Amino acid sequence: MIQNLIDGVLTGSYISLGAIGLTLVMHILRFANFSHAELLSLGAYVALVFDALVSALVPVFAVKIAPLSLTWALSAAILISMVITAISALLIDRLVFKRVREKGQELSMVFASFGMALIIRNVIGLIFGLSPELYSKDIAFAMILSRDPLILVKPDQIFVLVAALVLMFLLHLVLSRTTFGYSLRAVAENPSLAQVNGVNLSRTIMAVWLIGGGLAAVAGVFYGLSHQLIPVMGRDLVLPIFAATIVGGIGSVYGAVLGGFIVGIAGNLALVILPSGYTPSVPFLLIIFVLMIRPNGLFGEARA
Amino acid sequence: MIGVISYLVFFATTASILAIAVLGLNLQWGNTGLFNGGVVAFFGAGAYATLILGGTPQAGHLGGFELFYPLALLGGMAAAGLLAWIVGLLTLRLRHDYLAIATFGVAVAFENLMRNAEWLAGGAKGVRGFERPLREALGDGFLYNLLFFAVVLVILIATYLFLERLVASPFGRLLRAIREDEEAAQSLGKNPTKIRLTAFVTGSVILGLAGGLYGTFYAFVSPQDVLPTLTFQIWAMLIVGGAGNNRGAIFGAFLIWGAWTASGWALSRFAPVEAQLYTGSVQFILIGSVIVGMLMWRPQGLLPEKLVVSQRGKTPLVKQGV
Amino acid sequence: MTNKLVYAAALGLAVGLPALPGTAQAQDCTTKIGAVLPTSVDWGRPIAETAQFAVDQVNAAGGAAGCEIEMVLRDTQVDPKVGVDAAKALVDLEGVKVLLGAVSSGVSMPILTSVTVPGGVMQMSCCSSSTAFTGLSEEGKTNGLWFRTFATTGVQSAVGAKVAADKGYKSVAVLYKNDDWGQDMARLIAADFAAVGVEVTTSVAINDGQPSYRAEVTEALATQPEAIYLALYPAEGTAAVREWISLGGTQNMILANSLKSDEFRDNVGMQYLGAALGTDTASPRSDSADAFRAAYQERFGSEPNGPGLANSYDAAMIALLAMEAAGPDASGPEIAAAVARVTDPNGTPVSADTAGFTAAKEVLAGGGTVMFQGATGNVRFDANGDVSAPAVIWSFSESGTEEVEYLSLPEVDAFIASLN
Repeated sequence: MIQNLIDGVLTGSYISLGAIGLTLVMHILRFANFSHAELLSLGAYVALVFDALVSALVPVFAVKIAPLSLTWALSAAILISMVITAISALLIDRLVFKRVREKGQELSMVFASFGMALIIRNVIGLIFGLSPELYSKDIAFAMILSRDPLILVKPDQIFVLVAALVLMFLLHLVLSRTTFGYSLRAVAENPSLAQVNGVNLSRTIMAVWLIGGGLAAVAGVFYGLSHQLIPVMGRDLVLPIFAATIVGGIGSVYGAVLGGFIVGIAGNLALVILPSGYTPSVPFLLIIFVLMIRPNGLFGEARA
Repeated sequence: MIGVISYLVFFATTASILAIAVLGLNLQWGNTGLFNGGVVAFFGAGAYATLILGGTPQAGHLGGFELFYPLALLGGMAAAGLLAWIVGLLTLRLRHDYLAIATFGVAVAFENLMRNAEWLAGGAKGVRGFERPLREALGDGFLYNLLFFAVVLVILIATYLFLERLVASPFGRLLRAIREDEEAAQSLGKNPTKIRLTAFVTGSVILGLAGGLYGTFYAFVSPQDVLPTLTFQIWAMLIVGGAGNNRGAIFGAFLIWGAWTASGWALSRFAPVEAQLYTGSVQFILIGSVIVGMLMWRPQGLLPEKLVVSQRGKTPLVKQGV
Repeated sequence: MTNKLVYAAALGLAVGLPALPGTAQAQDCTTKIGAVLPTSVDWGRPIAETAQFAVDQVNAAGGAAGCEIEMVLRDTQVDPKVGVDAAKALVDLEGVKVLLGAVSSGVSMPILTSVTVPGGVMQMSCCSSSTAFTGLSEEGKTNGLWFRTFATTGVQSAVGAKVAADKGYKSVAVLYKNDDWGQDMARLIAADFAAVGVEVTTSVAINDGQPSYRAEVTEALATQPEAIYLALYPAEGTAAVREWISLGGTQNMILANSLKSDEFRDNVGMQYLGAALGTDTASPRSDSADAFRAAYQERFGSEPNGPGLANSYDAAMIALLAMEAAGPDASGPEIAAAVARVTDPNGTPVSADTAGFTAAKEVLAGGGTVMFQGATGNVRFDANGDVSAPAVIWSFSESGTEEVEYLSLPEVDAFIASLN
């Protein structure tokens, strides 16, 4: 029970990171982006490539940062992947979503994102093959926190949690202390009014994609570090990330963080009540449950 | 030659069944603007219920009622309608993107339930033991397939005519009014919630009809038939064909299913053996590109929605769809 | 299509000249067989390659029924609609009388009910394991056209229980793939463990495509079993076992044959698999036992490890032997009826390679029957198209896998009988 709770918090950390980007995009651009989870897998695979590259070029970096299974090379690869994924997110918007946005209605966007998800997922499958990939084949053993009840935690997971919290805190500073943060909120509230007041709309949209892409890349690598990389990981993660976004309330960064942890904990606690075969339904049941009580999520606001 | 005809009949049967499903979705999305992301749940409810009601007794799970076939099919439609009613009550008041995700989740949960609840529908093994109607009399060769196709075609045409009349009726006008401007409709004393629910249930009953025919055709259904791929395929058919246009919906179903199967055939015929591993991925990339391309260059579909003016000359109180 | 004259000439050549095993005889005609397999999923592709490998061997022996064999392969995408359509196209447009496939029961079943049985085409699946097929056959709805070389569910769970009993494990947790095969395995293994007095602490379903298996593993771990039984495929098997080991779970593992895979061994790591024992069906102990293994290694450079490979080879080989036995221009039901002639327990044993096929041709031409000693053993079908076979207990080694214990067919039968 306590173990499930702890596992849930640890799982929640990468779901939260994914949900932050999604909630911003859904808020500012007003569409459910079904391809957001593909940015996680893009980020994870880009990091895989640069991990190998950096390790080959600078063998010194291929050393693990004890007690983690993370190497210096992979740490560098994460930063590179953040940049590349953020730019890719922006490019996808420029090449596809922007055009659809100008041409059709916001609902066309939802379907275009379905199409993009298929394309990204299968291109990754073509390049990397369909079998799972690992950053490190070594198995990182869990530390025993307590013997009775038995509580186990992996060092990697503590790192993932701490790193995720740090990133969230940084984002919080940006949103609450900078003019950019204010303009972001202004655009979300009322795009035309914000523009009248001198907020650059297209620059705000650009920033949203860059933040969303960068955080997605980190989330993807963290996921890969805890589990494994497969080309369809975006498909597997899309429902939990959406659930986190909706539970938290679309547009609320803090809601997304909380939502991620709720989804993670619910997924891990569900087995206490439900037979294990039903786990894929848990995020969905959570969505319905929260929307029944709060139609706009925990922190979301109704808007016209 | 007979082989080609036999295959074409088979192909057209599957395409027609899918076309019925696309028509059902078109009522929900094209006409009413309801984003149903869980098409496959209602399709599956129809298929499962038809086979459970009409099949022979099977050890270990519900079923074996051996109902007269049309009753079983009606039962399938009713099951889809009932599911839609419950889902609709819970979710239709949500914003469209919430609705898309909630219904997507319904489909995941439906597949999950079918896969795990062995007492209900056989679990992962699926439901079998269904006797296709009149098989005793007709055998199960080409003649049977031809007649089955004829029946499916008649049902497709009937569904099309029903929806055309519905869309042209005052109720159809109301649907479009709600799609375009819910508040305006409400201010005219209409009850959008109720009307949306009616449209959602009606569309889902049609999806259930398609599912029932699908289950009948294969005399089998399993959780593999209700994966999200089918939702995507049916949506692709509607988007490419033209949302809001029933003829476009049918056209899209034949076009996309034709392209899907023909690309598989062409890849097996012409792609080198070494490249075969990649044909699955390539096919999905092509399909994704077609969707994205369509939305970028022709978001209204190949056969766009036509402006319906059902009462010429009257005061245009309700804003019409463009 | 088939040219009788050419067949007669080829037969004349074959009889007139001393048969040279392994040498090709030029054929002027081509017979197509169909294959509907999921080539777009990770484990599907090798299954298709292995079927093609069997076809190549037969062609090296001069083809079957007097003609060269061409296998037309279609991808199912694990989508029943797509698989059924592909099968129908193969039957109607390519005129195949023999269809290999599919892998998933959920795809094989609609093909059987709506394409092959109505069309009078023999269908031979490597890997569809659902008990629904046995039920369908018992109701007389397969017209004797359905066969599968997947013997392993019943045999495998029984041998799995034997491993646990021999090792003296008192309690075992079960992790199973949540599909028709996994659900069957979980049910069977629970009964078999109970029969040998091993307690099943918990039985946890592992769903495909879940982002994390941490909760499932924690659930199993909490019951503190002495050993763990895994009925999983390599992708989710790797994820679950890595999680299991990292949390300090026991390394006493019993593996179903689906985990007999190099990918699984490499990604988990040999150092953790020392105490792991697998089960599988096996080749019989005869001179030709390793024919398949050796030829496979020569062709692919690795051992035939992976779900369904040996089964796929046998499916293709038996189908082609049956075509040979049925003779040119045979219909689907005729070929299906001839399966008994090539899997006759009292027939002349033939090995699973080109030489074996050449030898079988001679025996069959003389009106005899043969016993195919396949990659999965002396395959013997019962009235429902199901098979039973000898079994082997294996473990991982640096180069692949090695045999720990061999159980002959009578031993397997006796052990299964002792469980009831």
